[in-house]
Amino acid sequence: MKPSIPVAASDLAARLRAEIVPELTGFRANNVAMGSAMIDMIAEEFDRAAARLFEENAAVRALLQCGGVAMAAPAKPDLRVSALEAENDRLRAALIDLQAALEDRDDDEARALDADIWRELACSVERRRVASANF
Amino acid sequence: MKALTEADMTAYLQARFPDWQDVRIEGLHRLPLGASRETYRFDLSYRDGAGARSDRLILRRDPPVSNVDSDRNHEYSSYRAIHGHGIPVPRMILLEEDPGPMGGAISIAEDMRGYHNSEYQLQEPVWQDKLPHIAEQMWGTMGRLAAVPVEKLDLEFMTPATPESTAMQELDFWEATLDKNDVGPEPVTRAAIRWLRRNPPAPAQKLAMVHGDFRAGNFLYDDEGNLVAVLDWEMAHRGDPLEDLAWSLARVFSFGKDDRRSGIAPRADAIRIWEAASGLTADPEALHWWELLNCVKGQGIWNSCAHAWTTTSGEREVIHAYAAWWLRNAQDRAILELMGHL
Repeated sequence: MKPSIPVAASDLAARLRAEIVPELTGFRANNVAMGSAMIDMIAEEFDRAAARLFEENAAVRALLQCGGVAMAAPAKPDLRVSALEAENDRLRAALIDLQAALEDRDDDEARALDADIWRELACSVERRRVASANF
Repeated sequence: MKALTEADMTAYLQARFPDWQDVRIEGLHRLPLGASRETYRFDLSYRDGAGARSDRLILRRDPPVSNVDSDRNHEYSSYRAIHGHGIPVPRMILLEEDPGPMGGAISIAEDMRGYHNSEYQLQEPVWQDKLPHIAEQMWGTMGRLAAVPVEKLDLEFMTPATPESTAMQELDFWEATLDKNDVGPEPVTRAAIRWLRRNPPAPAQKLAMVHGDFRAGNFLYDDEGNLVAVLDWEMAHRGDPLEDLAWSLARVFSFGKDDRRSGIAPRADAIRIWEAASGLTADPEALHWWELLNCVKGQGIWNSCAHAWTTTSGEREVIHAYAAWWLRNAQDRAILELMGHL
């Protein structure tokens, strides 16, 4: 789309904050302010969502494979964000089970893979980071 | 949800108090407070046997779908339980648990109008010099709440707890909340839950009335930064007083976007003030456990926000979607930090 969605969304959010919120009070002002912040988050997420999900799904699938959990990739790649999110949910659910099983073991192989999982979880949190968040 | 109108309010109060005459409701409007309940402000005037009266009041209404499992009676009774025990709170006036008349259970309380309760306002330059005083007020009051002898409070409406049971009781509750309001796998939060179960804390030093949401934004302060009332007791429960301290230290409530907790004071200062006021010790290991538990609690609330938004069939609350988008990732970051993986 032209103008690009992130640029248009950010502009819309800024206009809501600058022009509409000051015209309102109380509950309505608060709702519009939160709405403008959500549009900023949409702008931030729009451009990165498919890439981060694609990257994350590959990384989690590889970790699962290391742990002996076979999770085949879809036969026909579907890069719609909704499809990538559904796949992400499936893979992350399996990752929870794998990590829980590793925590019950007391060997170097389990500890090494658990450390790899933590590194990937830290990467996944960084990929999803919201710029406006307090932390 | 049924809109709250001045006409409905007037009719309800006239029916509830038949000896009142010339009942008038003015200025009814919703306040931008909280994600779990609707909060309204209004002016009431009427005549009774003693003559003309007027009050400034706050009404809280339970919505059909909320991000917090609590009801009007719980919050109303919590306020009444702590009232008169050295912790300033607004006076409760009326509880109506029948959702029929007002479209949801309501409570009415005195309106302490004219004070501030914005955590964002505290980040403005004009408040910076007052932050050390506000820190003393906030964590001092929290410490005094911890020191209140729990056996002197009427907490029969709350779930029983013991110093030995409260930690796992809270963990069970919030894990169940995550299960009930599932919005997708949470590997970071689930790993935290498993760690918490493997590493239980020492029993609480004492049992206290835990506020459950004691942070900047949930207390009223005057122009000098004096705390005049603690609000939002809907998650109050019997428990380990370290839970309140830990909640106030949460990274997601660092509104200054720096190391000041609650956007007010460094962590060490907050702990020092709380210890002096409570007479208790914030054992680092136990406090760490409660900080991590509170991350699970936070994620339970933010996921409940997402679930409420997703499942509601009526008018949605913007704050539910906003809170879920804005806080879920930050909560995961906080878990990573506490578990040494950030």
